Amino acid sequence: MKRRGGIVASYGVLVIAVVVALFPVFWTVSTSIKTRVDSFANPPRFFRFEPTGKNYRILFGKEQFWQIARNTVVITVTSTILAVAIGSLTAYALARHPRFGGRRPLEAAMVLVRTLPGIVVMVPLFQVVTRLGLYDSRFIIILVYAAANLPFAIWLMTGFIGQIPIEVEECARTDGANRVRTFLHVVLPLALPGVAATMIFVALLSWNEFLIPVLLAGEGSKTLPVYIAGFISARTLDWGPMAAASALAIVPIAVFTALIQRRLVAGLSSGAVKG
Amino acid sequence: MDSHRQRWTVASLTVPTWLMLLAMFAVPLGSGVYLSTRSDKIGSFVPGVGVGLDNYRRDVMSGVFVEAIVTTLIITFVGLLIQFPIGFGLAAILHRNLRGTQLFRTALLVPMLLTPVAVGLMWRFMLDTDLGVINWLLDSVGLSRIGWLGEPWAARMSIVLVDSWQSTPFVMLMALAGLAGLPESPLEAARVDGASPVRAFVHVILPMLRPVVYVTLLIRLIDGLKLFDVIFILTRGAPGRATQTVGLLTYNTGFNFLETGRAAALGIAVTLLTLPVYVLWLRAQRAAQVVG
Repeated sequence: MKRRGGIVASYGVLVIAVVVALFPVFWTVSTSIKTRVDSFANPPRFFRFEPTGKNYRILFGKEQFWQIARNTVVITVTSTILAVAIGSLTAYALARHPRFGGRRPLEAAMVLVRTLPGIVVMVPLFQVVTRLGLYDSRFIIILVYAAANLPFAIWLMTGFIGQIPIEVEECARTDGANRVRTFLHVVLPLALPGVAATMIFVALLSWNEFLIPVLLAGEGSKTLPVYIAGFISARTLDWGPMAAASALAIVPIAVFTALIQRRLVAGLSSGAVKG
Repeated sequence: MDSHRQRWTVASLTVPTWLMLLAMFAVPLGSGVYLSTRSDKIGSFVPGVGVGLDNYRRDVMSGVFVEAIVTTLIITFVGLLIQFPIGFGLAAILHRNLRGTQLFRTALLVPMLLTPVAVGLMWRFMLDTDLGVINWLLDSVGLSRIGWLGEPWAARMSIVLVDSWQSTPFVMLMALAGLAGLPESPLEAARVDGASPVRAFVHVILPMLRPVVYVTLLIRLIDGLKLFDVIFILTRGAPGRATQTVGLLTYNTGFNFLETGRAAALGIAVTLLTLPVYVLWLRAQRAAQVVG
């Protein structure tokens, strides 16, 4: 009897927690399909309102929005590929070789990068980038994103490569495959699910990044988070289109979360170190 | 001899990483130190000149900076007090592995994955004094409305609330990982001795989770000190300087008042302040590697 009471209480707590966790998401999506009148109604209209696509039409009607969407996707994808490619090489060294030249300084540098507040780096970086005439350059923004997420990519990949039994590699080596061939044809295919998971996590961080583009991107390379933040400084707070833009930032994340659900927990907790 | 050569072959794999970190972190940090001794401003036609340690004397040794440190610490530590009990409590419940646990777990993790800027905006809408759903809720249960983002303490607590909403899932996740790695036998013993589940959790499990608690604490501490996006969206440091953390102060100095040199000095000071946590983390990581 006492035990059943415990179970009911547990479910009670979980349900409340889920409502708290998801309500803001629900509220954003529902505000994004409300008219101005409905979104300002008091008492708030949770379900009883006439849905409208107007907020999305306003957003999609702007040439600027499409350019921002393109920038966000291009910067996210390119910087992710770059970070994971460079990171995988280092991760291989870390996972397979307990001692190599510069290992300890490298580990120290990675933790340092993870602990540094971004703004500390961005003040002088902004100065350097503008002096070089590279303000609003997608190329520079991609490089900075990749560098910022590099330690995270390395930590994740080190974990995934470490799970591949070393015997597989030794076998390939004794069969006469050289180091490069072993890496390309044996290690890499086995590491592929890990590479995919790492890419998704790094892409998530890049997608959400705000400080780097708000300082280094002008009109030409602006990304979605910067665009969303821009709504605040507008004279009238227009919650409808703003909620629509926020919903568009969040929906891809929900899709990806569903895709990697199985690896989510393992990935996130080995990425204790999320950047 | 061969192993010596191999060590450097392996090291060559890390060259691209080193180049990246040097270009994007070492160079800015170096030029940050240089800038911090100069009077450079953004958009000024007068070139900056060297001012020695003036920026440090004026900005770092100032009441405003101390105030920002205090604000940062308040927001960080109050946040920890919320995130840890809730995160570990939820993890303990999920760990019972009731039906539907996976679904609950995924749903509870969602906040930590969302774009902080979008999260900040959603909450800003919900915390709105007149139109916000939270004040409506307070109203309908007979409590008085709160000027969430307009009054100093309410604004600080709003930031704690939003950050905790987004960060508690991470604490929960770390706790879950920790729980999954625990041996069953001490818990069995406690159960046989007739300890209630709550007592068993507090007296048997928590002490065994010490390493996880420690690492999670360090990470949350660092992330609390780094917190930026959410504050930027919710208050930008307002009302007055009530929510101006060291990060926001550095940003405002550099990009509102366009004082690059002074912002650089603040940045260097902030780096030095985070150094103790950095050392603790590095030590924890090295210790973990020796064990695992």
